[in-house]
Amino acid sequence: MKTSLLAADARTKKRNAAEKRFRAYGLSAIIVAMSALLILLTSVLVNGLSSFQQTFITMDIELAEERVDKEGNRDPAEMAKTTTIGYNSILRDALIATIEGEGLTTDLSNRDIADMISKEASATVRDRVLANPDLVGQTVTFDVLASGRIDGYFKGDVTLESAALDSNTSPEALTLAQQLADAGVIETKFNWNFFIWPDASVQRPEAAGLGVAILGSLYMMIVVLVLALPIGVASSIYLEEFAPKNRITDIIEVNISNLAAVPSIVYGILGLAIFINFMEFNQSSPLVGGLVLTLMTLPTIIISTRAALKSVPPSIRDAALGVGASKMQSVFHHVLPLAAPGILTGTIIGLAQALGETAPLLLIGMVAFVREYPAAYTPEAGLFGEASTALPVQVFNWTQRSDPAFVERASGAIITLLVFLLIMNAVAIYLRRRFERRW
Amino acid sequence: MEDMIHVDRAMSTNQDIKISAKGVQVYYADNHAIKDVDVEIDDKTVTAFIGPSGCGKSTFLRCLNRMNDTIDICRVEGDIRIDGEDIYDPKVDPVQLRAKVGMVFQKPNPFPKSIYDNVAYGPKIHGLARNKADLDEIVEKSLRKAALWNEAKDRLQAPGTGLSGGQQQRLCIARAIATAPEVLLMDEPCSALDPIATAQVEELIDELRQTFSVVIVTHSMQQAARVSQKTAFFHLGNLVEYDDTDKIFTNPHDPRTESYISGRIG
Repeated sequence: MKTSLLAADARTKKRNAAEKRFRAYGLSAIIVAMSALLILLTSVLVNGLSSFQQTFITMDIELAEERVDKEGNRDPAEMAKTTTIGYNSILRDALIATIEGEGLTTDLSNRDIADMISKEASATVRDRVLANPDLVGQTVTFDVLASGRIDGYFKGDVTLESAALDSNTSPEALTLAQQLADAGVIETKFNWNFFIWPDASVQRPEAAGLGVAILGSLYMMIVVLVLALPIGVASSIYLEEFAPKNRITDIIEVNISNLAAVPSIVYGILGLAIFINFMEFNQSSPLVGGLVLTLMTLPTIIISTRAALKSVPPSIRDAALGVGASKMQSVFHHVLPLAAPGILTGTIIGLAQALGETAPLLLIGMVAFVREYPAAYTPEAGLFGEASTALPVQVFNWTQRSDPAFVERASGAIITLLVFLLIMNAVAIYLRRRFERRW
Repeated sequence: MEDMIHVDRAMSTNQDIKISAKGVQVYYADNHAIKDVDVEIDDKTVTAFIGPSGCGKSTFLRCLNRMNDTIDICRVEGDIRIDGEDIYDPKVDPVQLRAKVGMVFQKPNPFPKSIYDNVAYGPKIHGLARNKADLDEIVEKSLRKAALWNEAKDRLQAPGTGLSGGQQQRLCIARAIATAPEVLLMDEPCSALDPIATAQVEELIDELRQTFSVVIVTHSMQQAARVSQKTAFFHLGNLVEYDDTDKIFTNPHDPRTESYISGRIG
């Protein structure tokens, strides 16, 4: 039978239909994935962007000598006897004076007015005064933190209706805050301190920051980079280029692949048993965290490095050996430079994984509430031995707190973490492009 | 067949034996790839290895500079001597051997570095140049010998991988002769090249004969006839016949050789 090219036969139609179906599957899979990502990012951004803003009250505070320096000798040690409770009343009086100065009236009790100021504020002012005793006796303009509820009101999280049911604030306080804002006393502005301040207690979400967490994560990344990169690269080079191919190397290879699939919390248990219980390193320290994350990252680095080494064409090795290079010269002069972009990408992806890892850190005590900035080195605690926390653990911590203001903080921490991951991935892509060479 | 043979092929007067192989056996695991090969390769001569695919000619070539060492499952037995020295002696460092016995591969494989660095790499690692001027001289000399100098002299810092296929192969030859080897092994050096590049490389091989002993593996009988003085015919791991090229192509001894060169097998 003669067939026409103009009419598709049954078999062709079937094939074309199958191809069309497959394209539709692929397209819908991508749409689902993209919308999931979009929903995730939107919810995080909507919840979290406001954490980079903070509400401040600008007021003139009279630092009368009889209230902050009872001895009158400007000696910080003596002045320290005035506690934050003493400063609370100073701040309260300053705010009342400011309200009166603006010509506003309110039914609020003095106590309720004091509650509009963050509990952190008195400590901030006190620290400033202790650091600079010359301020005593002067009237100084301070930007102090407003309380979490006032802050929430200006960010739209707290409304007059919700305030009516809230024991921590009242609709009157919010109305007053609105009037103060109209008068320019209360202002919402960008809050660098979110990245600098340490964590704060449950009562003062407005003062909670990521400083300690960022520092702890940084220390851990240093430990991971310094340990995992050389160990991982050296072992992959040995396995790939030098080790004889026999049963033992086969077993090692299978085990490395399996290690990459071990749940990260298992590494946490391992770290707890070995580094803390047996080797007696400090709990909660970035050193232990870094060691655990190193163990976890090593298989990733080894696998990607071996893949990068494998992808270097054998003709390059032959060429090097052919002109009389030794095995090591051929690896270090020719194979390694060609594999470098792959190795770097693998390493950075491993680091990014480690940066976002939470579970193993919970087990080694990095979930603790830490207010002190950890030092990189102290004689007592050793290198990276001071208690710290980490970015993902801080997210975990904040999401567990009851005060709704921490929802915003947690999302802000997630955004910060994502930005760090994005930066690392961008660096990986840049390095890959920069060092990629064709052969 | 006749017309392809250089009639005026000048036989070298110096007929010292450079490489002598006796009873060479090569095994890949259980596969017996080279069976009891005896061959003597003359100095300052081009020797061609011909034979059908898988006959072991490349394997045998790679025995001569111990490139087979890099293959785990490969085992070499027998006695291969260069200038009377056993190259499989435990005291021999393959690295030193390979500086003496250079190799050019089937596919051009320049390092992804500049043309200059490609050629300078061997002399550098073997300490053949005392200073930069020395090295420059070696690079120029090697590139001139490889007939690449005129094309490459203005772009020595350009990547070697940016050259055309034929230029790349000549670069690889320059790289191989930069270490001042005594023997040059070529494993099908023209199989990836077009006829013009092939002609250039063949001309080059003929010139290199003045300085080195050249061993070339080739699939092309015409090429063997054009460039070589001696030809060895391999078949199924056996060295079937080894004689002057003229004789192999005009008056082969063995019926298998005759079948191969007349195109009945292979």
